[in-house]
Amino acid sequence: MKKITLFLSVLLFFFTAIASAHGPVRQKAEEQITINAPAEKVWSIIKNFGDMSWHPDIFNTTSEGGDKKGATRILTFKDGGTITEELKKYDEAKMSYAYKITDMSTAKTITHAGVEEKVPVLPVDNYSATIEVESKGDTSVVNWTAGYYRAYTNNNPPAEMNEEAANAAVNAVLKTGLINLKALAEK
Amino acid sequence: MKRKVVAIAVATAFFSLPLAAAPFAYITNQLDDSISIIDAKQGKVVDTIAVHGKPAGVAVAPAGDKVYISTPEAKGLAVLDTKKREVIAKVSVSDGALGIAVSADGERIYVADWYNNNVDIIDADSLKVIKTIAVGESPSGLVVSPDDRWLYVANRLSDSVSKIDLNTMSIDKVTIVGSHPFGLTIDDMGERLYIANVQSDDVTVLETRSMQPIATIKVNTQPYASALALNDTRLFVTNQDDSSVSVIDTTTLKEIGLIEVGNKPEGINTHPDDRHVYVANWFDSTVSVIDAKTMQVIDTIKTGKGSRAFGQFFSK
Repeated sequence: MKKITLFLSVLLFFFTAIASAHGPVRQKAEEQITINAPAEKVWSIIKNFGDMSWHPDIFNTTSEGGDKKGATRILTFKDGGTITEELKKYDEAKMSYAYKITDMSTAKTITHAGVEEKVPVLPVDNYSATIEVESKGDTSVVNWTAGYYRAYTNNNPPAEMNEEAANAAVNAVLKTGLINLKALAEK
Repeated sequence: MKRKVVAIAVATAFFSLPLAAAPFAYITNQLDDSISIIDAKQGKVVDTIAVHGKPAGVAVAPAGDKVYISTPEAKGLAVLDTKKREVIAKVSVSDGALGIAVSADGERIYVADWYNNNVDIIDADSLKVIKTIAVGESPSGLVVSPDDRWLYVANRLSDSVSKIDLNTMSIDKVTIVGSHPFGLTIDDMGERLYIANVQSDDVTVLETRSMQPIATIKVNTQPYASALALNDTRLFVTNQDDSSVSVIDTTTLKEIGLIEVGNKPEGINTHPDDRHVYVANWFDSTVSVIDAKTMQVIDTIKTGKGSRAFGQFFSK
C-alpha cells in the first residue's frame, strides 16, 4: 500500500510538473458589485478616463485626449510604479468604456532560467479591460472585466509571472476598486 | 429475414439523417476544457465534450468524421470522433501546439508549435509525425491550398508568412507582412491569402503564386482571424479589442462594414451555406451568427468559457 501511495504521489508530481509547463492561455477576471445608488451617480464617479482617483491604489493620474478613443492615461501607484493605458472604446449611453495597458514600469527584476526577467507592476501581458455601469432602478450594478495573459510569454514561467500571480493581482485590483467605488457612491 | 434487413436499413438511414442534414460547428472552450458542438440548424449547442489541455485550435476533417483539436497545455492534439462524440486519440506533438489544419484529402494534419518555431506534419491514419519543418518565430495560423500543394504559416513574432512546398516538404518562400500576423484565410482558387495582423491592425492580402502583397487593408483593433463568404466576395475579420467584425469587399479591397459582436471575438468560420458567418466571442462565451448578405447579427449562441475556435470549425 505504501508503495502504491508513493507511486501515486510521484505520478501526481509528474502531472503537476507537466501542467505548469504550458503555453500561455488568456486569462479572464470578472468582478461585479451592486451599489445602492443610481447608475448616473456611479457613472459620474468613474466616467472621466483621465481620473482614476476613485481607486484606492492609484495615487495620481495624468492623461491626454479626454474621453476620446485613443486617449491615454498614466496611473501612478503609491509606491511609484506606473501603468500607461489607452482608451479603446467609450460609450456614454451605455455607461461603459474599454481600455488597454500599453506600458508598465518594472516592479522587480528576477533571474529565471539564467535570464534576467523584469516583472511588471501588474504581472500580466496584453491586458485589456471593460468597465460598465448598469442601471437597476434606484440601485446599480457595476461590471469590471479583464482579459490578459500571464507576464511570462515563454514556456515554463517563474512563480512571479505565472497565471496564478496574474489572476491574483488582477482580481485584487478589480475588487479593491469596486469596493471603494461602492463606498464613494453610497456616501 | 429480408424484412428485418430492410427495417435495419431504414433505421440506419433514419438515424444517419440528422448527422447529414445539419452542419455542426465545433467550438473550443479554452477555459472550460471542452468543445461545444453547435447544431447550425437548431442554432444551439447540442453536446459538450470534455477535452483536456486548454483546447484552442480546431480543424474538421473534410469527411466530417473527425475533428482535430490542438491542446497547448497537453502539448499536442486530441482527435474527436464526431459520430461517437468522444475523444478517441491524443497525440503528443510539441510544447506549444496552437494552429492546426487538415489537408483537403484528409490524409495529413498540420500543427504549428508556438514555442519551438516549427510545423509538424502528421499522418492522419497512424497519427505519427512524418516531418517537422522549421519556420519563423511563434507560428500561429495555418492554411492549406485547396489542391494540397502548399501550406502557409503565419509567423507571429517574425512578422512573416512562410510558404511550404508539400511535395518536397520544405520552405518555398517567406514574405514579410504586417505586424504579428495570426489567422490565415485562403480563397477557393488558392490564389489569394488574407492575413490578419494583430499588432498593425490590418489585413495583408497576398497573391499566393508570387507571394507578393496586393494590398494592406486597415481594420479595427487587434484583428485575429478571418473568413470568406458569398462566393469569396466578402471577407469577415474579427477585431479582438473592438468587439466587432470588419467586412471587406474583396473586389475593391475596402472595408464596407463594421458589425458589433460579442466581447473578444476570435475564431471565425463560414457555414457551408456560404452565407452565415460564425464568430466565437472569447470573453462572452458565445458565438455570434452573422448574415453575410445583410451584415447583421441574426443569432447569439451560448457556448462554454473562453470560446476560441481558432481554425476551420465547421463540418461540411
